[in-house]
Amino acid sequence: MHFFVAMMCGIVGGVVYQVQDSLSDLVKITNDGSFKSHLAWSPDGKKLLFTRIHQGKMELCTVKAEKSAEVVPLVVPSPNTPHFDGHWSADGKSIVYVHDILQGTDGKLQINEVLADGTGAKVLIPHKAFEESPRYSPDGKHIAWVSTRDGNQEIYSLELANQKVQRLTQDQGFDNNPNWKHDGSRIVYSSSRFGNFEICSMKNDGTGVLRLTNDLAMDVWPVYSPNGKAIAFTSNRTGSYNIFVMNEDGSGVRNITNNKSINNFAAWSPDGKMIAFISNFQGSYEVYIKSVLQGKLP
Amino acid sequence: MVGLHWADLLKVRAIAGSVNGSAKSVIFIWLWGGPAQLDTFDPKPNAPAEFRGPFSTIATRSPGVRYSELFPKLASRSDQFSLIRSMHSQSNDHGVAGTVGLTGSIAGAVGLDGKPKAGQARPTTGSIVAKVRKLDSGLPSFMVVGGKLHQGKKAIVGEGGGFLGASCDPFRIVYDQMNGMRIPALELGQGLTPERLEDRKKLNNAISDASRKLDSKSFSQPWGEHMDQAFALLLRPEARSLFDLSLEPTSIRDQYGRTRFGQSCLLARRLVQKGIPFVQVNWSDHVEAEEDAGDGGWDHHYRNFQIMIDRHGPWLDHSLSALFDDLKNRGLLDSTLVVAVGEFGRTPKINEKAGRDHWEHCYSALIAGGGIKPGMVIGTSDARAERPSSRPCSPGDLAATIHQAVGITSEQSQTLGITVDGEPIAELF
Repeated sequence: MHFFVAMMCGIVGGVVYQVQDSLSDLVKITNDGSFKSHLAWSPDGKKLLFTRIHQGKMELCTVKAEKSAEVVPLVVPSPNTPHFDGHWSADGKSIVYVHDILQGTDGKLQINEVLADGTGAKVLIPHKAFEESPRYSPDGKHIAWVSTRDGNQEIYSLELANQKVQRLTQDQGFDNNPNWKHDGSRIVYSSSRFGNFEICSMKNDGTGVLRLTNDLAMDVWPVYSPNGKAIAFTSNRTGSYNIFVMNEDGSGVRNITNNKSINNFAAWSPDGKMIAFISNFQGSYEVYIKSVLQGKLP
Repeated sequence: MVGLHWADLLKVRAIAGSVNGSAKSVIFIWLWGGPAQLDTFDPKPNAPAEFRGPFSTIATRSPGVRYSELFPKLASRSDQFSLIRSMHSQSNDHGVAGTVGLTGSIAGAVGLDGKPKAGQARPTTGSIVAKVRKLDSGLPSFMVVGGKLHQGKKAIVGEGGGFLGASCDPFRIVYDQMNGMRIPALELGQGLTPERLEDRKKLNNAISDASRKLDSKSFSQPWGEHMDQAFALLLRPEARSLFDLSLEPTSIRDQYGRTRFGQSCLLARRLVQKGIPFVQVNWSDHVEAEEDAGDGGWDHHYRNFQIMIDRHGPWLDHSLSALFDDLKNRGLLDSTLVVAVGEFGRTPKINEKAGRDHWEHCYSALIAGGGIKPGMVIGTSDARAERPSSRPCSPGDLAATIHQAVGITSEQSQTLGITVDGEPIAELF
């Protein structure tokens, strides 16, 4: 496997940034050969949570964030029905996820919450339509998620204390993949309102929409860096899927995986020094960690 | 030429050319569940948002032809295969449409209501090819890579030899990432090794004999023949090596993708390289995306677009492109017909669950190699891909096209008692 290697360095405002455009500095975390998706780093930086399709089951799993670690399925109620797309609470004590209640050849999605040890499961958002991609706000008081309850995929916010639901997006396109900024002030997401999927951000009340990418390719699964200054996302603008990083205003876009395979589902480490992602560049879909010393990109 | 239409000419040419097909083998890729035509090879960027979906389109090597952005590798190879954009079937029931797609006829199909359609189920296309192209080597002439096709808990009608007999049923091989290749007919008991199979064979023979006396209908001679084939395969090292993907370079295995579908396509290439006349690759056993031991089917009533982005789009693009490249590099594409199709398409109007439902009125098929003209687009669909707007093609037409490509003559069909409910797609030859 041959990769183009380039190192970009610079000093902006006294902050050193460094992004290596290759996969030569990777640490391979998993090695079980199963398809994986929806990666999230635990707040203490010790574990990664992801979805795995393994022996016919779609399930949430955790793995220690270290080389060749053992994959451990998360114990949830009804483990034989698909459960996926999990996200840690800020204190790391809870996990919110999508639970798929299979009915014949159809399924009904709902949003569940479970303690990290698998106990205390409860339904947070009952099935009403397509319900997916739940994400805790940093203060733990809200859940942002995607629902089609008003027709097409829109982003909503649930205030956990009073179960109040607020619709944040309203347009004909699909609005997907929400992710909160570290201070809870904004949500970054992907939207097809411009014709195809682009990365946008908005205030936590749905106002102040900013379009951050503008190209003919698909830009999806955006995630804010822990300090909120950068955003990692997936794009197929090179013909394959690669992980890109850009400043929070959409400037300074950099391809950090830069290969011809599928690289998807970026997740920042809590200290912002690494990005985990899922790639099949060595054959099967495995979890990798890559160093990223973040700062403002030119 | 007076009074003879162009279509008639094409038909005459097709019939004239049907005596000697160029295809020595067929790889029939069955996209079970029904891919969405708008999200794959017949996008409609000018349709209203609730139809076109969220994907942009990309140019292909065929002038003026665009695919969904999820298929860049196939787009860059569009000059190697042809695309049919005007497929249509007779039912929106997986079971019925599955039978139609596999046999070219609705006869004997059974859907969710459990009631068989009129007539006797026809043999599947692979069985017909196997009957005509029976191998002298003893190897099965029709192999399916993948489990039995199901709708819910029920296996569908039309994946076997039908009235041609059980000897024309497919010999099935299954691959999964965890266990590698398996031959379901030869599931070995605990501690049973190939070296001990001779004893096991004697035991099976004894059981078979006893069973035949009890129920001659259930355990007919062809069943025994099939079991013999299975044992012969496992007992012969050179035959076992057919299924051993570890003999392939890692780079080739990676090119195909380490998914069930990718590795199944690689196995299909190995099989046609050894002269197996018909290999069917089942993308999944079940139609549902989540309830399947394989890669999950194409029946995306919900989460269609997310599944297409994360899994099915890149997997199909990657593995099918690798198959085309590999066949071409080995000089096998000219003699191997490759067909990729599902049982129907999906509703052009997006439903309220970010999905698309069943749609039998319009869908797409890819066809390549084996003497087929590449780079063509057969038929068109209307502005929302709801119906064919020109040159409608049926599964019967596709089956007839396969027959023509492998050189099954009308005399052979008559001798076998086979009626095909369609005509070869003459423009492809």
